[in-house]
Amino acid sequence: MLEHLRVLDLTDERGLLCGRLLADLGADVVQVEPLGGSPGRQAPPLAGDVSLYWETFAAGKRGVSADLADESSVARLRALAGVADIVITSWPRAQVEALGLDPVAVHAENPEAVYTIISAFGWDGPKAEYADTDLVVWAAGGPLAPHRDGDLPPLRISVPQAYLHAASDAAAGALLAVLARAQVGRGQVVDVSAQASIGVATLARVLATAVGDDHPEWQTTPGRPSGGRTDQSGSGAATPNSLKKWHCRDGMVELHLSMGPAAGAFTNNLFAWIAEEGGVGEPISSWDWRVVPDKLVSGELSHDQLDEARAAVRAFLLGKTKAEVLEAAIRRRLLCMAIFDMSDLAQSPHLAHRDFWVDVDLPGAREPVAIPGRFAQVLGPEGPRARGRAPMVGEHDDIVAKEWLGEQ
Amino acid sequence: MNLTNASSAEPRVDALAGLKVLDLSWVVAGPLVGRALADFGAEVVRIESSVRVETARLMQPFHGGRQDKEGSALFGNCNAGKLGLTLDLKSAEGQQVVRDLVGWADVVVESFSPGQLRKWGLDYETLRADKPDLVMLSTSIAGQDGPWSKLAGFGNVGSSLSGFQHLVGYQDRLPMGTFGPYTDYVGPRLALVTLLAALENRRRTGEGAYIDVAQVEAGIFFLSPQVAHYGFDGTIAERHGNRDAQAAPHGVFPARSVEGAERFVVISVRDRAEWQALARAIGREDLAERDDLATADGRRAMEDELEQVISAWTAERSATAVEEALQLLGVPAHAAVTSDDYPHEPQLAHRGHLVELPHPTHGRTFVEGPRYRLSETPGAPRRAAPALGQDNEVVLRDLLGYDEARIDALREGGILR
Repeated sequence: MLEHLRVLDLTDERGLLCGRLLADLGADVVQVEPLGGSPGRQAPPLAGDVSLYWETFAAGKRGVSADLADESSVARLRALAGVADIVITSWPRAQVEALGLDPVAVHAENPEAVYTIISAFGWDGPKAEYADTDLVVWAAGGPLAPHRDGDLPPLRISVPQAYLHAASDAAAGALLAVLARAQVGRGQVVDVSAQASIGVATLARVLATAVGDDHPEWQTTPGRPSGGRTDQSGSGAATPNSLKKWHCRDGMVELHLSMGPAAGAFTNNLFAWIAEEGGVGEPISSWDWRVVPDKLVSGELSHDQLDEARAAVRAFLLGKTKAEVLEAAIRRRLLCMAIFDMSDLAQSPHLAHRDFWVDVDLPGAREPVAIPGRFAQVLGPEGPRARGRAPMVGEHDDIVAKEWLGEQ
Repeated sequence: MNLTNASSAEPRVDALAGLKVLDLSWVVAGPLVGRALADFGAEVVRIESSVRVETARLMQPFHGGRQDKEGSALFGNCNAGKLGLTLDLKSAEGQQVVRDLVGWADVVVESFSPGQLRKWGLDYETLRADKPDLVMLSTSIAGQDGPWSKLAGFGNVGSSLSGFQHLVGYQDRLPMGTFGPYTDYVGPRLALVTLLAALENRRRTGEGAYIDVAQVEAGIFFLSPQVAHYGFDGTIAERHGNRDAQAAPHGVFPARSVEGAERFVVISVRDRAEWQALARAIGREDLAERDDLATADGRRAMEDELEQVISAWTAERSATAVEEALQLLGVPAHAAVTSDDYPHEPQLAHRGHLVELPHPTHGRTFVEGPRYRLSETPGAPRRAAPALGQDNEVVLRDLLGYDEARIDALREGGILR
């Protein structure tokens, strides 16, 4: 869908994914690396000296190298920026300015370029120069603080995420500017701050104080003395973790015993399954979880009885495998889910059915390795797909010079 | 530096001026897509049922802390700038209104269980017969086909099946999972990119498109390196608290509490220079000079002890004071920003990220601004999210051209509920 667009990609690991998304959508994405290779080639996870981060998120791009200390080499980059539809950078601002590859310099030569910036805090502002890591951004943007496991300090996701959100947003921002260019006839600057990008990854918790909610941690069990609000979501978003994790025969299961009118029916389905296999008796087996909150408040049900119900679930799930739980969740409409690790994903029949994987060559691998290859499925025009392996340093220096700059 | 690329002070246009969007989605993942389109000038009509109230309206946080279907800041954040129409979609009359709105729209966004729209004759195959350039986005947990497509679910199901639940927590404790339904935060970003590419393609070729985004697949996409690592040599990625594969020390440390509330500050040390700056800042010249702590591996070997030393120092200071002191030295550090901090956080305030909007019930409300600052065609939420049924008249009369008698009949027939 984007085959007509040329993208000059001046990113390191912070912005690497943005160009991958545009390449999957058909754009000609040229990844620029300094002579020694991008720092993204050292981003974890590493297998020996192979960065799987680089190999997956630079997949399908073409690669050119540049000696950033050499003026003629940098001039070549400026020439490429001069004919690009989109320039993306996550290099430090001082560096792109020193190289004459900043937005003002690029627009002076190429006013139609969409200049897209990915950074921790944004192009300008009081923290624009801050030293940054994924953890710093995760703390600054809001998702870290409310994520507590009991009394322990807040937890991040063990796989860095902040810049992936920002790089995805940058791809959307760049395409908004491409659509605008059709109307206004010129490019513009798209400035993405990872800190601002991840506010939306808090389920609006970042807005709580602004709208005057001083207790966004919900009372989790109705009828307890200190609350009044109940978590009636289907996801159990406001329910403590220990009440949503259950051991099964070969791993763990995520299950929120949802109650209330919107999502209580799912728990009815769960208890119907347990009762069929003799795992729970009356009266619990015939509770209507849609009205359990009301009955807890009125005192018709006690919290001891609720604990009995939980104990029945616990004993039942210990005898089930992850695959059995998933199969039952589909067949019986349960909000009950196996907690998958990377090996479960690789073996998923569903993902294979949807042709989700694309095999690419990786350095040092005897056989091609499956990577996520389709972030969306499309009918009509050709949809996104991984276009091949990541480039080697300078692999496409000559062909890009020829195709983009007309050099022989 | 001025980022503008304008040659003169001409009137600004919107990036998506003239684009018409019918939003049939609900909760978070679908509505966030329409929200982004509305910010950049699209006219977005959001359909809801006033009988089966949409889940996001029942979810925290709430204005004034009171659970009320017109008070959810989550709903407000996902739906600002849209027109709101309430409709009984199970009725033939309601479905006809939807068909008329499809005729009006360029884009349809929906998040029903796969197969539901087909039962109503509102699926893509049917709709495109009359409107071949329609761009339609379906967002669901596992996609429109395949063995998992019938999964009921919210984003927490997506985060379990995509591998995220396994990847948050301490090694010696239960997996903690993500904060909220994580794939709800990933899916709409990848959906929006694809939708905008389809619009660019339609602009150039006149061709429509149908886009099927699965939250599970979007989540796995963000774990591409980890899945590839498994394929490469069988490594299964594990959770490791707040520790990091490269930086050490790397953690979340207690800071001085504020009005009785616990506060925290993060610090990550990427190299020896940063380690020496940190060690000196906390008054431990001896640690700064130790050769065995010169490398990340060396520091990792005694990370427990180093964390204790750092904690003793941070605990006596405010999170912001730690952040500022260490950042002055070039050491990555930041306060763990809470919702109390959020409205005043200096960098977000500089960007105008929190946007105040007038609100019919609450006087004013707050939503997040767009996540991409465009210099020439900036986006912004145009108005607060609609109250239930707020724009029924406007949509039916002005957008669809229904006359009063027809609108009255719908109202009296109980269709506009």
